[in-house]
Amino acid sequence: MSSAGVLEVAEVTRVQLFSEGGDTWLALAPEVTLLSGLVLLFIVPNLGDAKWRIPLTQVRFPVLFGGRRFTATSDPRLPAMLAIATLLLALWQALISQGADAKTWLLTSGSGAEANILLRVDAFSRIFEIMFYAALLLAAVASIDRLPARRAGSDIQQLIDNRRQVDFYLLLLMTAFGMSIVTMSMDLFVLFIGLEIASLSIYVLVAFHKETPEGAEGGVKYFIVGAVSSAVALYGISLLYLWNGNLQLLSNSATGQIGLVERWSEMESLVGLPLIAFCFVLVGFAFKVSAAPFHFAAPDAYSGASSTVAGILATASKAMGFIGLIRILVMLAAPADGSAVWMFGLGVIAVVTMTWGNLAALSSSNPKRMLAYSSIAHAGYMLAALAALGAWAWGGENDVLNSAPTDAGQWILTALIFHLVVLVAFKLGAFLVLALLETEGEVSDTAPLAGLARRDPIVAVSMFIFMLALAGVPPLAGFMSKFLLISGVVKMSAGDAFAAIAAGDGWSLGQMHWTFWLALAVFLNSALSLFYYLRIGVIMFFEVPSEGRRKPLNKAWFLRLSIWACAIGTVIFGVWSDHLINLCHNAALAVL
Amino acid sequence: MSGAMDYALWIPVLPIVAFPIILFLGNVFKGTDLWRGKWKEGGIIATVVIGTCLGLSIWLIVGYIGQVTGNESVGQIGDWLSFHMVENGNLVSYSIGFGMYLDHVSVMLLFVASFLCFLIAIFSLGYMNSDPVNLDRNHRFYAEFLLFCAGMLGMVLADNFLWLFIFWEIMGLCSYLLIGFYYERPSAAYAAKKAFLTTRVGDVFLLIGLLILWNLFGSLDFSVVWAEDNIAAVDAGTLKIALFMMFVGAVGKSAQFPLHVWLPDAMEGPTPVSALIHAATMVNAGLYLVARMFPFFASPAMEGEFTDLAILIAWIGGITAFMAALIAFVQRDIKKVLAYSTMSQLAYIFTGLGAALWFANTGHEEIALLAFGASMFHLFNHAMAKGMLFMASGSVIHEMHHAHHEVSHHGSSESAERDAGVGAAGVDHAAHGGHEDHDHFDAQDMSNMGGLASKMPITATAMAVGSASIIGIPLIGGFWSKEGIVGAAWQASLTPGGAWMLVPAVLVLITAGMTGFYMSRMWFMTFAGKPKTPVANGVVEQTPFIPIPLVTLTVMTLGGVVFAGFEFIHWVADGDAEMHFTNVLSGIGVELKHAFLPSGEENGALIYLVTMLTIVISTIVGPAIAMALYGGRLAKGEKAKPWLAWLVSLSSRVRRKNHFDNSTWAESGLADSLHQRLYFDAWYDAAMLKIVVPFANACAWFDQHIIDGAIKGLEYGSQEGSSVIRRLTTGSGRDYIMMVALGTLAIFVLIWGVA
Repeated sequence: MSSAGVLEVAEVTRVQLFSEGGDTWLALAPEVTLLSGLVLLFIVPNLGDAKWRIPLTQVRFPVLFGGRRFTATSDPRLPAMLAIATLLLALWQALISQGADAKTWLLTSGSGAEANILLRVDAFSRIFEIMFYAALLLAAVASIDRLPARRAGSDIQQLIDNRRQVDFYLLLLMTAFGMSIVTMSMDLFVLFIGLEIASLSIYVLVAFHKETPEGAEGGVKYFIVGAVSSAVALYGISLLYLWNGNLQLLSNSATGQIGLVERWSEMESLVGLPLIAFCFVLVGFAFKVSAAPFHFAAPDAYSGASSTVAGILATASKAMGFIGLIRILVMLAAPADGSAVWMFGLGVIAVVTMTWGNLAALSSSNPKRMLAYSSIAHAGYMLAALAALGAWAWGGENDVLNSAPTDAGQWILTALIFHLVVLVAFKLGAFLVLALLETEGEVSDTAPLAGLARRDPIVAVSMFIFMLALAGVPPLAGFMSKFLLISGVVKMSAGDAFAAIAAGDGWSLGQMHWTFWLALAVFLNSALSLFYYLRIGVIMFFEVPSEGRRKPLNKAWFLRLSIWACAIGTVIFGVWSDHLINLCHNAALAVL
Repeated sequence: MSGAMDYALWIPVLPIVAFPIILFLGNVFKGTDLWRGKWKEGGIIATVVIGTCLGLSIWLIVGYIGQVTGNESVGQIGDWLSFHMVENGNLVSYSIGFGMYLDHVSVMLLFVASFLCFLIAIFSLGYMNSDPVNLDRNHRFYAEFLLFCAGMLGMVLADNFLWLFIFWEIMGLCSYLLIGFYYERPSAAYAAKKAFLTTRVGDVFLLIGLLILWNLFGSLDFSVVWAEDNIAAVDAGTLKIALFMMFVGAVGKSAQFPLHVWLPDAMEGPTPVSALIHAATMVNAGLYLVARMFPFFASPAMEGEFTDLAILIAWIGGITAFMAALIAFVQRDIKKVLAYSTMSQLAYIFTGLGAALWFANTGHEEIALLAFGASMFHLFNHAMAKGMLFMASGSVIHEMHHAHHEVSHHGSSESAERDAGVGAAGVDHAAHGGHEDHDHFDAQDMSNMGGLASKMPITATAMAVGSASIIGIPLIGGFWSKEGIVGAAWQASLTPGGAWMLVPAVLVLITAGMTGFYMSRMWFMTFAGKPKTPVANGVVEQTPFIPIPLVTLTVMTLGGVVFAGFEFIHWVADGDAEMHFTNVLSGIGVELKHAFLPSGEENGALIYLVTMLTIVISTIVGPAIAMALYGGRLAKGEKAKPWLAWLVSLSSRVRRKNHFDNSTWAESGLADSLHQRLYFDAWYDAAMLKIVVPFANACAWFDQHIIDGAIKGLEYGSQEGSSVIRRLTTGSGRDYIMMVALGTLAIFVLIWGVA
């Protein structure tokens, strides 16, 4: 960062978008796959035996669009399969690009003086692509049972579900596409476009079960509040354009354009215009991560949406917001001397958010609302880590324990990314368990969970694992991520004092940066949160199943498959997390 | 050697891995025919695993004995814990590894433990699986059994005191679980709790001792703490406190006075548990720990520093030996007799170790080694014999139970028909019903037995040989070692400065005779005379698997003479000695000379007199009195095996010659107090009530009001906060947007404020 946002050209391959050669396609392979999948989803269910007669003749050409549908292509189960195949392929492409010869691409628009740097494909964007695709894949697989499609549906619900299969999976793929763009964008406008593609899809997904009043209400509220926040953010972005003349983050050495990052660091003292713009943009992302007080619509949306969609909201959508925050806080507005202007404000928001989330979760009897508030609390923890990052004297060496990542800033960012990635395993997993319960009726209180251990011990144990992971109990992934977060913040706040402590010169609280108290707040809030996480365990293991819920749970094998995958991931990323932490560290290095 | 050593880690690890598997499979397949029949509810898995451990152990042991050098320590197999501590301003790193330590003592105990674990696993296949009470919960037994084996084997192999302690605690846990195996019986639940809490007292001391040791040496590795230079560098007084604390731990584990009260109650567990844990292996852990203190006492730097501690150990041993033997006089429960006998024999070993430590600390190295070896050899003999005795008693109890069922079912043909009709599924129910019907009958009470010598020939033989070994009948098992212990105690008391050793020396001498009495009493009450109840008349030796370990151990015990011929005593004490496999006969000659001829040393004649006296009172006087009181001919038409028949007829002849009325004794206050176990339990209960309960109440008050109060306050605050927040969450979209606006404002204020 000391080079103020100008990347060394040697590291990266600069490619003009859609230029000659295969580089664009190589760099954007997962996105291309997603687009192809989208197109296929449009086309395939519409294939039929329609023919076109050449006028004035009797010659008929088959045009394949419309007419009587083929049985194979009009199978209601087909969209799910297509979406899953697309996501799998995209996930695979993102995964293999993480190999040893991982490349960094800088994608520009046009050539010559007009070229803007639009996208950057690097370790950071790749890990989030993997995370998004994994989350959406799990949700898509789970939706096979949550939103069942059957060839011969008889009841009305079945017919409704069959007819909207295409819509649902189309929106899922759209979400994935929008999120991919957000991870890669190096231009605030592109970022905004991606954000809106994903957000609008999600608004619809939230309100997807429009036959239930909660679904419609939650979706609309979420949309309205989201629209307001987006508008504010867009206004901020427009002010930034006014200030800099372009919205690129990085300076373009080829064209001599100065990016926002460089321009910000060149400011002698803080100027009003960019600062106002910055605050506005912050509001938009704060809504996306559901930070207090922009979170109000979130619990309504979570409880109105089907649990699979709520799981996406809590993981992928939240991560998207954090990507935005990382871009504007860490890349754009972070001075090199560890006195970021947003540090205090963000710290306050973080503490309010986590406390608010935990307190509200304490008394919510609806498990989906409880998980929603828990997700707000988690956002608070991560915001606290980001706030601590503001205290980082960039490039300062706090290396005492001689372990990678060596630097406190890298440590925190690594922990943040790690947390966002493993959140998919246990947060989404918890929502998937609720989705499994939803297949036999609404889940609006804890009654469906009561006595789950007797009806289905494996699912109950998985749910308990997710709860423990959310609470941060070792050796699960949730412990690892929370541990990294807190220790990163402590490391950061210790700063130079670390060396003194290691040398045995004693230690006092006064030597610590005030961000230390953020770590303490995270710690205390975690303790508080144990209560409502463990209560789920009590309900599942010690209460008697309610009347009408005595029989074994639905088979729903696809949904179970996703739950198992999440449970295994929760354990594995807790115990053997080294590799993933390395990937996250690479991603963090790509940002810093 | 190295080959076996590579696999040595598996000896404790295998059972640890297998134990959850059995639990899991048991819970899944519980009740199926395959699981009950072929798999013996997990018993087969347990036996195979322990068999593998035994194989590995023997491989290890043979390889170890084959090489001549003293100790083998497989350094650290891996670092287990490593941590940093700030000491005097420096960051010091420590690490605790896990490794194996082999010397002659651990090799011996490894063999004892794995061998007995294996035999008792086989015994359990017969004993546990044929009792309908245990149906569908045997997997729990086998799982806990395996965990126990892991604890014992791990403790023996551990190369530092920390791991020794960890495995020690695993054993304590398993002991608790297995004593409480029949947790639905209040007495079993109580006994389990009592055993756990009593040993816990000792364990706390042990932990304190180990912490002091850590503080002194900065390590708990045997190789570090036993190093001569390191011992010389530490403060003798502090080290003595540490050793004392560790000794208290040993007292608790080995059920010695004054922490002995748990062992008799521990007999509530299934008999294989009594045989394994409370006779043959776990209770030896305390002895092993004391034996591991030997290098501290033997260090020249500490010479003369710890004599009082050694004398204390011998005293505790002597008192326990005498007291337990006395209580054993009046016990009628066959397992209780054996329990007190165990206590008493372990006390012998403590006395022997006390003498050995005393000699070591006063610089008499040679005789110290001799006493040490004798103690260890007694441990070996006692484990073999007592394991066998318990299994034999289990066999008796089992067959008595069975016969009792037969008898009571013949009594009411109705219930028999019902059982036949209901079939296998009804067995469980019928068994429970049967228990309720005739609960008053005690299958463990020896006064219900009698005359079993002809009905249970294998068991009777095993019992006779085992008793002979415990009594110390010349040439059989325990004889070789007991002589050494009594001799060493007397030798110590006659050495200048050792006058204090006189009390334990006298006590163990008297106890030798008492042992002869109560062990014989048990045998004659059970096997000689006429059957005292119709149940005893119907006993048949029929349960499968049970004879295998009995026969094996009978041979082992009789073969004690061969081990003696290997100069085992010398070998186990001296790390550099070789096992004399070749000259068994001359070895036996040497040992015989030791036992029966006066040695040329100081006070040789007196020691000779003492050992001769031991032989006479234990072999002749004790059994003779028992015969006079409890002997008798078998019922008409019953014929015991020839090697038992002479014993039975001898007893009846002795009884006819001496009409010996012991009713005054039996009704005296002494007998009464013995029945009350010398009031120890009552005293402890009173002390609990006076001291512990008020303290516990105070703690409870503090917990409820101060700690809970704080938590409750926090909880209340959270609930309040929660409800406030709920009121803010109105559910109206308009309010949400207002909140967004307020939030935007807040961000502006916060950020502008700083900027």
